[in-house]
Amino acid sequence: MTSYILRRLVLGAVVLWLVSVVTFFLIHLAPGGPSSAVSFERTAEEREALLKQFGLDEPVVVRYGKWLLSAVQGDLGVSYNQGLPVALLLKQRLPNTLTLGLAALVTATVLGILLGTVAAVNRNGWLDHVVSTITTLGMSIPGFWLGIVAIILFAVELRWLPASGIVSSGKAGDLVDRLKHLAMPAGVLAFTLMPNVVRVTRSALLEVSRADFVRTARGKGLAPGTVLFKHAFKNALVPVLAVLGLVTTALFSGSVVIESVFGWPGLGRLAIEAANGRDYPVILGATLLAGLVVVVVNLLVDLLYAAVDPRIRHE
Amino acid sequence: MPPIRVRFKLLRLLTTLLASMAVVVASAQEYDPNGSLTFATNADPTLNPWNASAVIESNLINTILFDQLVRYDPTDLRPAPGLAESWETAADGLSWTFHLRQDATWSDGEKFTADDVVFTFNEAILVKELGANRASTFTPVDRVVKVDDYTVVFELNRPFSSLPYYLAYYSGMLPEHVLKGAENPLMVASFNKGQPVVTGPYRVGEFVSGAYVKLVPNENYWGPKPKLASITFNIIPDGNAQVAQLLAGGLDMVSITNPALLAGVSRNPDLEVVRQSQNIWYFVALNLDDERFQDARVRQALLSAIDRQAMIEAVLEGYGVEATGPIAPLLQAFYETDVAHWPYDPEGAKALLAEAGWTPGADGILQKDGQRLSIDMPTGQFGYLVPATLLVQGYWEDIGVEVKVETIEWNAFIQKAVVNRDYDAMLAWWSTPPTPDQSGYFASSAAVTGNNIPNYRNPELDALWEQGRAATTLDEQIAVYRQVQEIIAQELPYLFLWYPDMISVRNTRIGGMQDINSAANFQYSFDWYVKP
Repeated sequence: MTSYILRRLVLGAVVLWLVSVVTFFLIHLAPGGPSSAVSFERTAEEREALLKQFGLDEPVVVRYGKWLLSAVQGDLGVSYNQGLPVALLLKQRLPNTLTLGLAALVTATVLGILLGTVAAVNRNGWLDHVVSTITTLGMSIPGFWLGIVAIILFAVELRWLPASGIVSSGKAGDLVDRLKHLAMPAGVLAFTLMPNVVRVTRSALLEVSRADFVRTARGKGLAPGTVLFKHAFKNALVPVLAVLGLVTTALFSGSVVIESVFGWPGLGRLAIEAANGRDYPVILGATLLAGLVVVVVNLLVDLLYAAVDPRIRHE
Repeated sequence: MPPIRVRFKLLRLLTTLLASMAVVVASAQEYDPNGSLTFATNADPTLNPWNASAVIESNLINTILFDQLVRYDPTDLRPAPGLAESWETAADGLSWTFHLRQDATWSDGEKFTADDVVFTFNEAILVKELGANRASTFTPVDRVVKVDDYTVVFELNRPFSSLPYYLAYYSGMLPEHVLKGAENPLMVASFNKGQPVVTGPYRVGEFVSGAYVKLVPNENYWGPKPKLASITFNIIPDGNAQVAQLLAGGLDMVSITNPALLAGVSRNPDLEVVRQSQNIWYFVALNLDDERFQDARVRQALLSAIDRQAMIEAVLEGYGVEATGPIAPLLQAFYETDVAHWPYDPEGAKALLAEAGWTPGADGILQKDGQRLSIDMPTGQFGYLVPATLLVQGYWEDIGVEVKVETIEWNAFIQKAVVNRDYDAMLAWWSTPPTPDQSGYFASSAAVTGNNIPNYRNPELDALWEQGRAATTLDEQIAVYRQVQEIIAQELPYLFLWYPDMISVRNTRIGGMQDINSAANFQYSFDWYVKP
């Protein structure tokens, strides 16, 4: 087990290094440059001075070498457009994305498993159709559109929730105010992630319910509820776990859009702003951090398989 | 009829009494002393007006925080006293002397002196390696010299009569005692992203990255006591979300870049729409390194082929005025209407092109000596540039010009069109200080490397721009800039489209704002208040 984890960690480090290589050279291949230097008003002289300050007058391979050398020492460089250390920006933004992501993940998981179970139990009944309509909507409506509609409904018309931001000024410690800000982005994000959980839960439960051991349990005369929760459910959990791993990584890409719509100061918005402004060190830092999360989550999910299903062993 | 007379007198006495009572009441409750305002900005600001990253998201906040030597007069936008009380130019026009206020202090209590001005210029703006914002506009300035604690001289390498205008254009002063010794005074993170030491009526109370910047009154402000308890700028990247927040009552004022968003505003009786004129002109630049466009008749024809009035209606919902040149109507003293106008006339355009040798070929596209009039027109995803470009494409195709539009991401567009000048035609805009001196966008010296995007070169116009900078009296300047406008309207270095109105929507509870334009409005933020 320990050697398995070690092997996965080493593999993870290699993956991250590859991510850094691909990202670094891709972003430098893209046309444009740091928005402070590549702007409409900037004259050639001003632009050259700025690019030199950023070290962009050096060849790209040299730049990568320098970046890697300081990155392995924990220094991710300084943002071109914000003038702040990348590590500080990531540290400021990560908790916000985690809050949003966790709220959405928990909502999507709880509701998804619940609805999936309801659908499976009432297979082909009207409740199943209602659930399948909801999941189809969640899968096909783009998050940004849903976000805008939610803002119009809940912020402009009903005035229940704030349209944007993470907290009102002067209310930094006000939990209710923070929850109000969180409700819409987390809700919309959860709505777009939930369908995967619903569908996998439903099909896994249906598959398990046809298995011999479930039939045996029913044959023994156990109550349907006991069969569902004690026998079927536990065995249906492995595919659900797998999809949760996928959903967690989808959270990161989903939050990029949602954070921009709701002005949520998280990693996603930081990455978008960095990409628009060609803030290379920030793009790299944010991509690597997202990569790290994916690597770690995948490892945790694999380890959880073994915990849930004793037949799975990691050697 | 004596009784009536008496009654009349009585009535007058009564009204006078009532009026004076009203005055007393009004002055007692002139404004809400706890009033606070909330605005929006689209990204984390950089609180240093000269840092290259401080652009649209920072400009107005920096205008509140950092006082300038010169402000705009809110009635006509002429230079008015700020941190400098008065100024005069030498007889030869080769220097300007500024006399500073003696009672101004920084927010930390230090006195504001000539050393700060000298530092701001000699150790920041004029240091080429730092790449300061708008550094190129100050190239006529060699250095700034301290005469005494409250007098400075700007030493010039050539006349620069518009210097006071440029000193009023996002040109805040920096504190020498705080930033001296920094390796790069424009890149001090604790200043730019934290709590800068300022001279303005408000200072930073709290800066939460990605969320908001809250300004509070500067207790050490030299001017009138600020009337607001705080001004908060919420960071809201999306324009639609800003309007939604405004409608929901969470914001007091939003500037509208897309007039289509005004639709919902009229439903809210607490909101008023303010139209302001700005020195902004939209244009189509033709790459004048391309010999096809070097004939002025071709440029005139291409402008006549565009129905600008229809575009203003379609793209701006009517919020704009047809442009004739770089000097907008806002500059009443200088704006000249009696110049060539090039109204919409597709037939006339075809005739002009035929005169220049461009006739329809077998494929219907105009050609001359085997060369087709096919135009590459890249456009960037920003504001309404894409729809406006597509309309121009349609108008030009109507007269037999082939136009290939390529829509690219904004930063890549700037790289292509501005940095590399890799385009045949492109549509964009310039936002300039309210001075007729716009040489930076036209002078031959600014072609290729500077803001002369079409790479226009005209020695006659170059000489006139210099003459304008050397002219010391208003009458002389008016005469020079009239000539400039006549030549430009005839020559069309740019195809001028329109002067857009700046539209802001604000809550009627706000008082004390200057409506002439937003830059001037933010220079007088100490006048703002919330009605009781």
